[in-house]
Amino acid sequence: MTFLHPWVILLGVLAAALPVAVHLLTKPRPVRLPLSTLRFVREAIHQRRARNTLRDLLILLLRTLAILLIALAIARPQWGARPLVSDQLDGDTVRVVALDVSQSMAATDRGVAAMERARTRAAEFLRHRPGLKANLVFVAADSKGVFDVPSVNFDQLRTELADARALPQRVDVQKFVEVTAKMLALVSPDDHRRRELVIISDFQRAGWARADLSPLPQGTQIQWESVATAEPLPNLAILDVRVSSSESSGGPSQCEIDVYNGTTHQRQVEVELQIGESLWNLKANSLPETTTTITQELQKKQTGWQSGQARLIDVDDSLPDDNVRPFAVHIPAEPTYVLLTRQNATRRPSSSFFLESALTLRQSDQSISSTEKTARVLRVDPSEIDNSSLAPADLILLDHPGKLPEDAVKMLAAYLRRGRPILYVASESVDAVNLKTLLDAAGGSVSLPVEFVPPPVGRARRDLTLASVKRDRPPFNVFGDHLGGVLGQLRFSGGLDSRRLEGRPDDELLAVYSDGSAAMVSVVSEAGALAVLNADLNESNLPKTGAFVPILDELIHGLMDGKRGNETVFCGEPFFVQLPGDAGPAAALETFDFLTKTEMPKSRPGELLDEETGTVWHWNRPPDPGVFGVKRGDDILTARAVAIPPEESELNSLDLENLAPRLAGGHATYYRNVSDDSRRRDDFWTWLVMACVLCMVAEIGTMIAFRD
Amino acid sequence: MSTTLHTSRFLDIGTLGALSHLKFSTRHRIEGSYSGRHQSRQQGGAGEFVDYRQYSGSEDLRRLDWKVLARTGKSFVRIYQDETNLLCTLALDASGSMAFKGTGRGAAALSKLEYAQYLATAMSYLIVHGQDQVGLAILDVKLRTSMPPGGTLMQLARLHEEIEKVAVRPTTAMAVGLRALFEQSKRRGVLLLMSDFLMDDLSDVFATIKLFRHRNWEVAILHLVHPEEESLPEGTAFRFEGMEGDGRLDCSPADIRADYRRRFAQHLATVRQYALAGGCDYHLVSTSVPYLHTLGEFLVDRAN
Repeated sequence: MTFLHPWVILLGVLAAALPVAVHLLTKPRPVRLPLSTLRFVREAIHQRRARNTLRDLLILLLRTLAILLIALAIARPQWGARPLVSDQLDGDTVRVVALDVSQSMAATDRGVAAMERARTRAAEFLRHRPGLKANLVFVAADSKGVFDVPSVNFDQLRTELADARALPQRVDVQKFVEVTAKMLALVSPDDHRRRELVIISDFQRAGWARADLSPLPQGTQIQWESVATAEPLPNLAILDVRVSSSESSGGPSQCEIDVYNGTTHQRQVEVELQIGESLWNLKANSLPETTTTITQELQKKQTGWQSGQARLIDVDDSLPDDNVRPFAVHIPAEPTYVLLTRQNATRRPSSSFFLESALTLRQSDQSISSTEKTARVLRVDPSEIDNSSLAPADLILLDHPGKLPEDAVKMLAAYLRRGRPILYVASESVDAVNLKTLLDAAGGSVSLPVEFVPPPVGRARRDLTLASVKRDRPPFNVFGDHLGGVLGQLRFSGGLDSRRLEGRPDDELLAVYSDGSAAMVSVVSEAGALAVLNADLNESNLPKTGAFVPILDELIHGLMDGKRGNETVFCGEPFFVQLPGDAGPAAALETFDFLTKTEMPKSRPGELLDEETGTVWHWNRPPDPGVFGVKRGDDILTARAVAIPPEESELNSLDLENLAPRLAGGHATYYRNVSDDSRRRDDFWTWLVMACVLCMVAEIGTMIAFRD
Repeated sequence: MSTTLHTSRFLDIGTLGALSHLKFSTRHRIEGSYSGRHQSRQQGGAGEFVDYRQYSGSEDLRRLDWKVLARTGKSFVRIYQDETNLLCTLALDASGSMAFKGTGRGAAALSKLEYAQYLATAMSYLIVHGQDQVGLAILDVKLRTSMPPGGTLMQLARLHEEIEKVAVRPTTAMAVGLRALFEQSKRRGVLLLMSDFLMDDLSDVFATIKLFRHRNWEVAILHLVHPEEESLPEGTAFRFEGMEGDGRLDCSPADIRADYRRRFAQHLATVRQYALAGGCDYHLVSTSVPYLHTLGEFLVDRAN
């Protein structure tokens, strides 16, 4: 507890002695009088002495207490730690007020959105004071200040604050820190102004847990102003919608809807699923604080891109915006594989022959003729690789490619970065070089858990068995209980040695040979999908067993599914989409809103670019949820659903009471919550005044009670 | 030989003239030395006829009613009530508490002793001029002064002089002096006791008074009370000093007034109860009332 005017307490202590002094000074001089009835006086006094003493003590106590209380009230006591940022502090100050405008700030508690509470609090820090310069930063996917540098234009800051609204975005804390650090940076070595950062947010766990404010200038005072409620707000949301399809048109596919129940009770949820003109109504029980996946089998009627929407029915929760989620569905035609190999197509048996045969067997549609099947696997000599040859590929396979030219490696890396999956069958020593240069060219966006190296000269890799596999993961999980029998008959030869890399997760290493080298590696991430099958198929017995096609099918399926996972992007976050190679130049294409079928205005962010690797659709900051696409005439080339990031639906807040110092990275911090009692209270003086009045009333009551 | 009789400063003959028509009366038959206007305890043949009584053979034949004997043949003697004069002893309490005269403000400017002196002086004057005899006893820790009843002007002057000379002494006991008075008094009469009864031996005092009553004395008690004794003086703070050697005390009368009043009223009730239980004629006298008014009411009450 501190005092605004502590010197008044000294006055109060002196004043507290006043009643005693007044009592002594005004004590009447007794009149001497002989009295005949002194015995009765003595008896009366004897009886009343204790009573009167008690009365006098009470009155003196109450009177003294009243004076002390009024002195304390004038001294203005303040509870809790002193805020680091306050209008009561003088001096030149640079202040940045960061207002979280992510989606979770739209959550309402008893009809009041967190955004409104935050706006009110932010306004308290945007008042003019001599020597103060301030800026207002809206924190979301892309943090941006009202001004480039702190300003004294508080009117404009407050106007912008009044117009602020929650955006369907998540918080990119590190970007916010970068922007703020620039605003608070010292303008000169003699810049000794006080630096203050006020962060007003619900401090959602997903967004702020990894915050690191250490890049801020030294001496920055950080004040965390939480608008979170004591208990997480109840919320139901659709976090994701996935449609996993078989590659054959017209086959059944699974639609999986992740429904998050952020309440404390089990709920019966009803989801309305719409894809194109089709409508489904799905129901499920959702356990509290868990995500439930609702599946629905879909019978697809046509291939190509479609838009869809999943909507929670009859839900009244804190955050209604996440009760609807748009999604884009691509019902693929038969995939096209580009096989980069130097082996002659007529050479049989050969590794590439086995691959080509297995890939054509994957296509189960009996209606496709054998000529069409072979047309799906395009053999390309690595020396002739160009955009036109790679553009049709849904998957790129490399088998005995020989030493890849540098341009080819760069081109493959570019395709890899843009989501084109690659399966590399490593059988020769040169493949180790190819893999290394490919990964290097990809810029580290994709990395393997092992480093493949050529085997030592003179040591033949023969009759290798699979020593360990990931039984519960593709491609081995399809064998179920028969896995042991399947693996027992497999013998591998050729391939590369490998070294484990530190710090890489083990689950990307799917199989390991008996000599400890990696047999199968699969890395699927947002940055790309790459799998390595480390064997010479021609010298192994795998292609000759019934396990080859299922293993290859599952491996490719995993890579392709990873590719399809990129069909949803998040509001406010940039994305690049590599258009198919046959899309044509950007000038012939147009972007459009899938749901309204209207072409996007030119001013809208999102542009089509002609690049070396083909045409790219780039959108820097898609603002609102929806489904958007690129079409050429009536032919829809691609589509993306822009959705709210799922983590914004989990309204759990960080325990900043304890975590704030750690997140602040060594800066001085102060935390308070606007909705609980932990905030600093400076209205205690009113209670003291009331207590003072009560003391005076009690004094009068005492006198009345002790009156005869 | 010419003698100059002492004139007391407590005697105001002019004002007493207004009470000259009132006489001190007794409520019981009394013994006196001389014939007077008061009923004697003796029933003889020279007084007022009151009744007949059958002759028993031992009575004086001079009192036989011969006319009744002649008319009825029955012998009756005539009974007459003797009348005698009054022997009144004025007993004044001279304890320290009798000197209390309060703050001197208001009507009660006199101390209780002065009031008693005025009252006793006037009373004695009226008694003597009513052809009765009056004596005096000054009581403090002992019987300080005792004058047997007398009816002469000389006696009255001496008595007034003694009354005027009364000085208080710090004592809280009166029973000893009263008992001494009882032992000195050989003849029955009236004892008029003026006191504030602020004493420790109250029960002993009334035990002694009962002795008087057993000897068929008529006892009249004038209980003197100063108004500031009843409710304590008005004021913020006082240092009360005991008048009978009982120390001093600082207090604010307002704080204890109610309790004090209750205690003092209880004291008055106790004295009155003692007096009435002992067959005494009890009068509560406030010194705020003029003594002549008190005297007049007392005499009228006695006459009734």
